[in-house]
Amino acid sequence: MASQLREVLNRFSDQSAPLSINQMAHDMGLEPGVLHSMIDYWVRKGKLREINSSGQACTTCGVKGTCPFTVALPRYYELVTDQDNPSCPPCGCQPKT
Amino acid sequence: MAVTTMKIALAGNPNVGKSTIFNALTGSKQHVGNWPGKTVEKKEGHLFIEGQEVIVVDLPGTYSLTAYSIEEVISRDFIVHERPGVVVAVVDAVNLERNLYLVTQLLELEVPVIIALNMSDIAQSRGLTIDTSILSAQLSGVPVIKTIGTSGVGVDALKSAIHQLASPAIKQPVSIDYDPELEREIQLLEVEVRAIPELADKYLPRWLAIKLLEADEDITERLSHYSELLAQAEQAAERIEATTGDDAETLITDGRYGFINTVVSQALYRPQVAIETTSDKLDRILTHKYYGMPIFLLMMWLVFQMTANVSAPLLDWVDGIISGPITHWVSSLLGLVGLQGSWIASLLLDGVIPGVGGVLVFVPVLTTLYLAIGALEDSGYMARAAFVMDRVMRAMGLHGKSFLPMLVGFGCTVPAVYATRTLENESDRKLTGFLLTFMSCGARLPVYLVIGAAFFGAQSGNLIFGLYILGIVIALLTGWGLKKTVYRNKPPQPFVMELPPYRAPRLRDVWRQTWERTSEFVRKAGTVILLSTMVIWLLMAIPVRGEGEFNNVAPENSVFGVVSDVIAPVFAPAGFGTWQASGSLITGFVAKEVIVGTLSQIYVGEAETADVGIEPVPTLAEDIAFVGTSFVDTSILTAQEIVNIVPRTLNLVPFIHIPEADFLGTAGESEDTTALETALTQAFTPLAAAAFSVFILLYTPCMAVVAAMRQEFGKQFVFYQIAYTFGVAWLMAVIVYQGGLLLGFGG
Repeated sequence: MASQLREVLNRFSDQSAPLSINQMAHDMGLEPGVLHSMIDYWVRKGKLREINSSGQACTTCGVKGTCPFTVALPRYYELVTDQDNPSCPPCGCQPKT
Repeated sequence: MAVTTMKIALAGNPNVGKSTIFNALTGSKQHVGNWPGKTVEKKEGHLFIEGQEVIVVDLPGTYSLTAYSIEEVISRDFIVHERPGVVVAVVDAVNLERNLYLVTQLLELEVPVIIALNMSDIAQSRGLTIDTSILSAQLSGVPVIKTIGTSGVGVDALKSAIHQLASPAIKQPVSIDYDPELEREIQLLEVEVRAIPELADKYLPRWLAIKLLEADEDITERLSHYSELLAQAEQAAERIEATTGDDAETLITDGRYGFINTVVSQALYRPQVAIETTSDKLDRILTHKYYGMPIFLLMMWLVFQMTANVSAPLLDWVDGIISGPITHWVSSLLGLVGLQGSWIASLLLDGVIPGVGGVLVFVPVLTTLYLAIGALEDSGYMARAAFVMDRVMRAMGLHGKSFLPMLVGFGCTVPAVYATRTLENESDRKLTGFLLTFMSCGARLPVYLVIGAAFFGAQSGNLIFGLYILGIVIALLTGWGLKKTVYRNKPPQPFVMELPPYRAPRLRDVWRQTWERTSEFVRKAGTVILLSTMVIWLLMAIPVRGEGEFNNVAPENSVFGVVSDVIAPVFAPAGFGTWQASGSLITGFVAKEVIVGTLSQIYVGEAETADVGIEPVPTLAEDIAFVGTSFVDTSILTAQEIVNIVPRTLNLVPFIHIPEADFLGTAGESEDTTALETALTQAFTPLAAAAFSVFILLYTPCMAVVAAMRQEFGKQFVFYQIAYTFGVAWLMAVIVYQGGLLLGFGG
C-alpha cells in the first residue's frame, strides 16, 4: 500500500487551489481527524508549517492587552519550501499575546 | 474475605468522553491531585468488581504515546513502569480511525487492553456501523464494548470485561506489517536490548527497539549512559534511510497508519453517500468556485447597508445631543464662571466640541459595523472569505495568505502590518505590506458617512461599498504589477485550511469584541483626536497676514488656512482645491477620523460660536426632555430602518417596488442632516465629494501605520509606499472628477 503519510505531502505540493482539511481528507478517503494527525506529524518534522494568525499583533497605538482589531482566523498549513525565510523581520518588536 | 487491589488505567484522545466513563465507573469515589512533579491533573477513583477493589487512574488525554507533550510522557511512563492490570482505551466511535492510533501504540506495549467504543449512538446517527466482533478480531482479540458514557450504557459490560481480562492476565501481541528493512532492523536491535538485562527487565525489548529507531527524545535521554546501544540504533536508522529513502520514524508511523487502515476497512462501514453536515452543505455554496465570490461581495454589501442606514437615526440623535444640549450646557457653564467670549470658550466651543464631538457622533455607526463584522467572524464565515479570496489573489499572482492581513486591515491597518509576519517569504511579506493601506480601515468610515449622508442620502451604503471594493481592486492591480516587476518570485503554494463548522454567533462574544473595538475608537477620540483638535484650533487662532488678532481671525488668514492654501492647487484638478479640503487632508495624516473633526471645526465651529447668544437658549428641563423624546423617535426610526433593509434592497432591482415601512409618517419629508453635512453640501459638489472620498480611501492612512511599516520594512520602503499611494490617490481622484465631468455629472 502506498504510504499515506507521503501522500499527504504529495497532495500539498501538487494542489493548485486552496483546500479545506475536510476536502483533502475526503479526497484521500480519510477521516479529517486522521489527516489532522498526519499533518501534525509533518509539522513536527518541519515539512509543513502551521500558521495561526489569531489574536497576535504588535501594537504601537497604546492599546492595552490584545489588539481588538485582529481577526481570529483558523489554523492553516502550507508546505515549507526552499524560498522560505522564516526569520522575524528586523524590527526588535515583540508580538503581544 | 481477603480483598485484592488491582490498578487499571483509562486512556484516550482528548474529548472522547473519557471523564464521563471515569465518573460512570467510579461514581463519587474520586481523588483529584497532580502527577508527581507535574502540573497535570491526576484523577484516581475506586470501584469494586465482584469483591475486588479496582483503582482507576484517569490518564491525560493524548493522541499518541510519543514524547511530544508532557501528557504523552506521563501516560506512557505510567503504562510502562506501573504496568496496570488493564488499560481501558476510550475510543470515539465517530472518529474511529484517528483514535485507533493510540490503541495501536497501547497494543505495542503488550498491556491488556479493552476498547470502550464510546459515543456509538452518535456514530450510528451519522450512518457509521462498526462491527465490534471484526474490530476485536482485527486487533488480536481485544474486547470491544459499546458505551454511551452520558447515559451509562455499556458500563456494566465494561466492568465485567475488566474483571475477565484482569483475572487471567491475557496479553494480545499485535502484529504491524512494517517495511521489511525496518522490521529487520527492529529485530536486530531487539536482540541488542535483550542482551542488557536491566533494560530488558524494565522495558519491553521490541517496544524499546522501536522507540530507539524513532529517536524518541525522552527514551534517548533516559538511556544516555548506554552509548553503545544508542550508537547501534543510530547506525540502524541510517541504514534504513539509505535503503528506503525514508527516515525510520516516518516508516514506523506510516506502518501504524497502514495497519489502522486495514482494520478500519474491515470493521467500519460508512454510508455509500456520506451524510453531509449543515456546515458541509453551506460550504458547498459559500466556498463555491464561481459563486463564492459574489456571495462574499453580497455579504459585505449588506454589512455596509446596515452600517450606513440602520445606524443613521442613532447618529443624528447623538449629533443632536452634542450640538444641542451639551453645547448649551458647556456654554452656560462658561458663562457662570465668567469665561464667556474668552479664548478658553473658543477652544471648547469652536475646537473641542465640534472636533471631538464630530467624531464621537459616529460611535453608533462603528458599533453597528463591528457588530456585523463580529457576527460574521463568530459564525465562521470570515474564514471562508479568506478561503474564497485565495482564488482571486492567486489569479493575480499573489499569495492567498496575503488576504489574511488585508482582512485585518479592514479594522485597522496597524495590526494588519504586523499580521504580514504570517508570510514566511520576505518578498511576499513586503508586497502584502505595500498593498495593505488600500484596505479601507474603520477610521475612514466616518468620513465616508458624512459625505455619503450629505450627498448620496439612502445610497450612502452603496458609496461605502463601492469605496471598499475600489480599495480591493487597486490593491490587486498594484500587487499584480509589483509581482511582475519588483517582487518577482515563484508562484506560491496554495494552503490547506481548517475551516471551523458554522455556528450561530454567540451574542456575548460578539458584543465583547464590538465593545473592545468601539472602546478603542472612543479612547482615540479622547487622546489623539482631542489633541489634534486643540492644535488645529491653535493654528486657526494665530493670524499670519497681518489681519486680525489671536483668536479673532478669519480662518483663511490663520496659520492653518495659509499653509493649507499653499497646497490646495494640487487638488484643483480633482475638484477639491480649497484650503479647507487640503487642510483636512493634512490633519488626516494624524488619523483619518481627524478629517471629520477638522471639517467640523472649520465649517461648524464658527457657526456655533456665531449662534451662541442669537438663538434662545433652551432651559435644562427642555434639553433633558429633548434627549428623551428624540431617543424614542430614534428607536422607532432604527427599527424602521431594520425592517426596510429587505424592501430597500429589493427595490434596487429594476421594476420592483415594495413599499417601505414609515412608522412615524415622515416619508417624503427631508431627512435630518447634521450641521456639518449641510455645510459640506455648500462647499463641495457631489462629484468633488466623491473624488475627495476616493483620495481619502487611497492615501496614507495615518502616522501609526507609517511607524509600523518603517519598523517592519524599513525607511526606503515607507518612502516608496507613501509616494506611490499619494500618486495613485491623486490620479484616481482626478479620474473620478474629470471623468464625471466628461460624462456630464456636473461640477
